Amino acid sequence: MRFLYSVGVPLLAVLTALVLGAVVIFATGGDALRAYQGLWEGSLGRPQSISETLVWSIPYVFGGLAVALAFKAGLFNIGVEGQIGLGSLASVYVGYAVKDVPFPFHLFLALAAGVAAGALWGAIPGVLKAKTGAHEVIVTIMLNYVAIQMTSFLVSGPMKDPNPLIANAQTPKILQSARLPPLLPDPQYRLHWGIVIAVLAAVFVWWLLNKSTLGFEIRTVGANPQAARYAGVAVGRTIVVTMALSGALAGMAGALEVVGLNFYHTAGFSVGYGFDSIAVALLGRGDPIGVLPSAVLFGGLAAGASRMQFLSQIPIDIIKLIQALVLIFIAAPALIRWLYRVRVPREAESVAGEVQLTASWGKVEA
Amino acid sequence: MSTTRSFAALVSATALVLSACTPAPQAAPTSAAAPPTTAPAKPTTAPAAAASPAASPAASPKPAASPSPAASPAASPVAATGPAAAAAPASGCPNQPAAAGAKKLKVGLVTDVGKVDDKSFNQSAWEGVQCAQKNLGADVKFIETTDPKDYGKNIEQFAQDNYDVIVTVGFGLGDDTITEAKKYPNIKFIGVDQFQAETLPNLAGLVFDEDKSGYLAGYLAGSLTKSSTVGQVLGTPVVPPVEKFGVGYIQGAKDAKSGVKVLTACHPGGLARGFSDPEWGKDTANQEMSQGADIVFAAGGNTGNGGLLAVADKGGSVLGIGVDTDQYLSLPEAKAILVSSAMKLITPGVFNIVKAAQDNTYKGGNITGDVGLAPYHDLEPKVPADVKSKITQVTADVVGGKTKTGWSGTPTSNCPQG
Repeated sequence: MRFLYSVGVPLLAVLTALVLGAVVIFATGGDALRAYQGLWEGSLGRPQSISETLVWSIPYVFGGLAVALAFKAGLFNIGVEGQIGLGSLASVYVGYAVKDVPFPFHLFLALAAGVAAGALWGAIPGVLKAKTGAHEVIVTIMLNYVAIQMTSFLVSGPMKDPNPLIANAQTPKILQSARLPPLLPDPQYRLHWGIVIAVLAAVFVWWLLNKSTLGFEIRTVGANPQAARYAGVAVGRTIVVTMALSGALAGMAGALEVVGLNFYHTAGFSVGYGFDSIAVALLGRGDPIGVLPSAVLFGGLAAGASRMQFLSQIPIDIIKLIQALVLIFIAAPALIRWLYRVRVPREAESVAGEVQLTASWGKVEA
Repeated sequence: MSTTRSFAALVSATALVLSACTPAPQAAPTSAAAPPTTAPAKPTTAPAAAASPAASPAASPKPAASPSPAASPAASPVAATGPAAAAAPASGCPNQPAAAGAKKLKVGLVTDVGKVDDKSFNQSAWEGVQCAQKNLGADVKFIETTDPKDYGKNIEQFAQDNYDVIVTVGFGLGDDTITEAKKYPNIKFIGVDQFQAETLPNLAGLVFDEDKSGYLAGYLAGSLTKSSTVGQVLGTPVVPPVEKFGVGYIQGAKDAKSGVKVLTACHPGGLARGFSDPEWGKDTANQEMSQGADIVFAAGGNTGNGGLLAVADKGGSVLGIGVDTDQYLSLPEAKAILVSSAMKLITPGVFNIVKAAQDNTYKGGNITGDVGLAPYHDLEPKVPADVKSKITQVTADVVGGKTKTGWSGTPTSNCPQG
């Protein structure tokens, strides 16, 4: 019953959003059936589409994990966008500037650079919160601007591809030795080993939170920092470590986009992974394993957009709208319960209340 | 009356072109293929006499069978001696029907991370494709990209469906377009604003002579200035197009009015800030205006837009000239002072290459599209009729290569002076 509830409500939310989306498509003069046929074909209906959906899911998995991990400590990491960007930037730099390192080692270096950059960028708001009580929401939002402007400066200035034929603000491509190989031999599939790393990361975060001492501390701090301090947990240290880990996961998302897919970095990286990641984490109910299907859903919606547009010629905004509708219904499970007359099983009450966004608001660090 | 004269000039120019361009069924060459909001201005408001850009059909009795302008557009206006000489390219959809029995094409368009109604390059290119739908009966579709990593995938949507022509818009799609063009040698690609370093037989890069565009802006500025001082606010000259715009503007202004003073300022911040510093653009435009400039040309993305906004703040005593697309539409905050824009004529450029594909005259490599000035819009009454007809003439001469723009052909990365 509890399983049925925690799976059933999100499913109903998605379904309801699709139906409402169909109404919107119809109202704007589109053919909803063709649109959803396109969405299906573009996301799951063909082998290549499945590969594309998973390709899109990879950054969502890491972004979602980053947000979910911070949630557990009662922290709201809105800085994932910036952390992903700097992860990409660090990884691309190591990828093209460090030379004469053989294949697997160069790749590891590039990934490590991305992870380190993300961790550092995540740790800053952690330290500020632990030492000064500065609210991580404000700090991470501000650091996003810093990261975005810094990236924009670097890729159009010092890190710009020196090739004069390239007018765009983009870095050189990373060397072959720093590239993650594709998962499948057929080049029409762009899916790379990042998906395996993503699944492993989800399992690792689950293990970390539920089976390790650090995870226990994180959860305790999230539940009640005063009690945690009383119980002997170093609250400040835990906050810094959590934010650094969260940033590291985000940095990995950025690094994998570089070494597995794009092989370069360009200005305007803010395609919104960081902000979508918050939604991914919420849809996954803040659970590391729950993030996986949630990321695949977002990946599928994004990957199916091309085919959806191709078949139905509706604007790309409609798919964003459907995503937003999914979120509204996910974020307000009471709405779905009311719509479909679903009763909350007693054991599931804790599930429903598990994601507490407001836990970190307005708290005074003693 | 000046309006009567300008009207007469337009009519005669239009009539001349039409007489050469036999199959044109309507009197209005700039057709409204696009939806009303996106359609270019009425032909009578177009400074460029609203003639067909396809000058080579004008030189040939059978447009469909003639060598397509797209195959050699740089040369084609030159060939347009005789009746069409006074004709300058129009910015809108050229009204050219398909050849009899020509194959109906399937044409797809992929945007960069912008929309087909962005009032800029994407929209202009999409209007070119819609023009092919209207005139050539093409089956057209577009895909808007949200993330650069999907460029290749979006192109493939069309390629796998055996589209005949795929248009990709913007420099950012350059690499992916080349990759896909190699993968699908039977599909003809059009890369808007994509300079081709190597020539692929099935990839036409639509590029533009910015110096010519800048020259026209300069000529208009020189013709309109009362203080004999005009200004320009440029992005960074590290980018060759900016330098070309600047050089052309200076030359154009001087050719229009000898002894005119041209104040030129380039953003010093290089690529990092050069196109995204509206504050600098504003300050610089204000400085130039305080030195007497009564026309300001702005070419430098948001930096330039800042300059235009500063001009708009003057409330109409100074006029501005925009760049690339008709900024009256894309920068409505400045429309009260925008007398014109130095445009790259993407719509007819795309259409012509699509038509060439239908006529089997398509060629790969760099295809130079035409440039021209945007309509005067609200400021139409401020432009004297003799200036209008002169601009029409100069546009034809510059586009045809008859008039030198002052561009040496080699970028120096220095801010143009003069």
